[in-house]
Amino acid sequence: MAPNEGFVDLPEEPFEKEYLAPVHRVGFWTCIAISVAMFLPALLLYLLYGVFAPWAGILAGMGLALTYAVPFFFIEPISYYPIYGDAGNYMSMTTGNVSNLRLPCAAVAQAVAGVPEGTRKGAVIACIGIAVSVIAGVIGVFFGSLAGGWITAQFPKWLTDAFKVYLLPAVWGAVFGQFALRGPMYAIPALIIAGIPLVLGWKAYFIIPIAVFGTVLVAYAMYKWFKIAPKAG
Amino acid sequence: MDWKAIANAPWLWFCGFVQAAIGVGQAWYFLRLATRLLERHGGYKQKDIWAIVRGALITAFGPIMAEIFVMMALIIAISPAYAWQREGVGVGSVFTELVQVSNAAIGVGQEFGQPSFNIVGFAAAMVVVNVSCIGWSLGAALFTPYLGKARDKLSRGDPRLLAVITVSSTLGIFGYYAASEIKKGGGRPTAVIAGALLSMFLFKLADWLKVPRLKEWALGIAMFGGMYIAHLLGS
Repeated sequence: MAPNEGFVDLPEEPFEKEYLAPVHRVGFWTCIAISVAMFLPALLLYLLYGVFAPWAGILAGMGLALTYAVPFFFIEPISYYPIYGDAGNYMSMTTGNVSNLRLPCAAVAQAVAGVPEGTRKGAVIACIGIAVSVIAGVIGVFFGSLAGGWITAQFPKWLTDAFKVYLLPAVWGAVFGQFALRGPMYAIPALIIAGIPLVLGWKAYFIIPIAVFGTVLVAYAMYKWFKIAPKAG
Repeated sequence: MDWKAIANAPWLWFCGFVQAAIGVGQAWYFLRLATRLLERHGGYKQKDIWAIVRGALITAFGPIMAEIFVMMALIIAISPAYAWQREGVGVGSVFTELVQVSNAAIGVGQEFGQPSFNIVGFAAAMVVVNVSCIGWSLGAALFTPYLGKARDKLSRGDPRLLAVITVSSTLGIFGYYAASEIKKGGGRPTAVIAGALLSMFLFKLADWLKVPRLKEWALGIAMFGGMYIAHLLGS
């Protein structure tokens, strides 16, 4: 939503000095730390058990893995940044599960606070939503790893199946619905722009940028030529 | 020693704890910074912050439970310690993990999930899966400060244009995810549509009734409602 008349954003100076500067400092070092930590499993496996895969095999496997992952290194932060801001990007790119967990938590935190996304206050509130999801997620996954089998066995089969098959589509629908209220004029174009390459069977790493930038272009054209913008409030 | 026993030994749990400490430490620090800033300069009180935290917790519950359910595939295929190390703090959904382990196995001439997969395949996975996700964290470390500048340049300081970009890009991303589920068919289109309609209705209802607390529950109810309606109509 465009900032409405009653909305007062955070002042720029304390936002930059008391929030953004330490966010970048700590975000940089924690992202470096997690990158280094990713070498620890292979290193410990070698030191404790003397096991290391042949380099040729690793390189071949890495080639395949990077073919799959590299486009997303660029697409995801650029696409998600407008919603969750700087701290949200550091946390999301450290902990993963962005579209299914971090973004919905950021969006609901902004809705609860009644704060427009894309503003300083919106970024700070998204940061709270994402930080909470990280802490809750780590606790949940830890207990899930320890006792996941027992927990899931307590649920009836239909519920387990429904979680596996239907929860994610419902999450996408729910967040789409929430934002469709903000910009109803973009909802149908967004679905069409993503839907055509999907029907043509293109790869996800081509379709995601087309979906994001295509919808932004349509929205920009509506704004530029017809002065149509998301509703305030 | 059986590779599955090695894959669930304390060393891998330890690696998971190291990553979790970094991720939770980062999140806790940012949480403190954000709440302090809102209290000092945004006029927010403790109860306002708690409402935001509550909304995020309610919303997180469903996706975390879904992650635990799907994580069972990793626990069964590899080990609980591996699931903890990769899914606690680490970029890559469960599905991505399975794809990347398969890629690592192919690299060393094995097939994941088949008897041919052994300690060498596991060792290759330990390198390939973990190192291939560094692109996200290194990219964030090096380029995050420039993302904001790029966005500000695009919007040229016009708050209405900023709103246009933010709302349309969000609908672009979730439009893609929603459309891809609709294309898969079965009960999935029902889940997407029911989730969308329920969420729209609940957010509107919160405004009509002037009960902002309903927004804390809106996405959580819409997710479970969409899932349940798809189960009823889709099977």
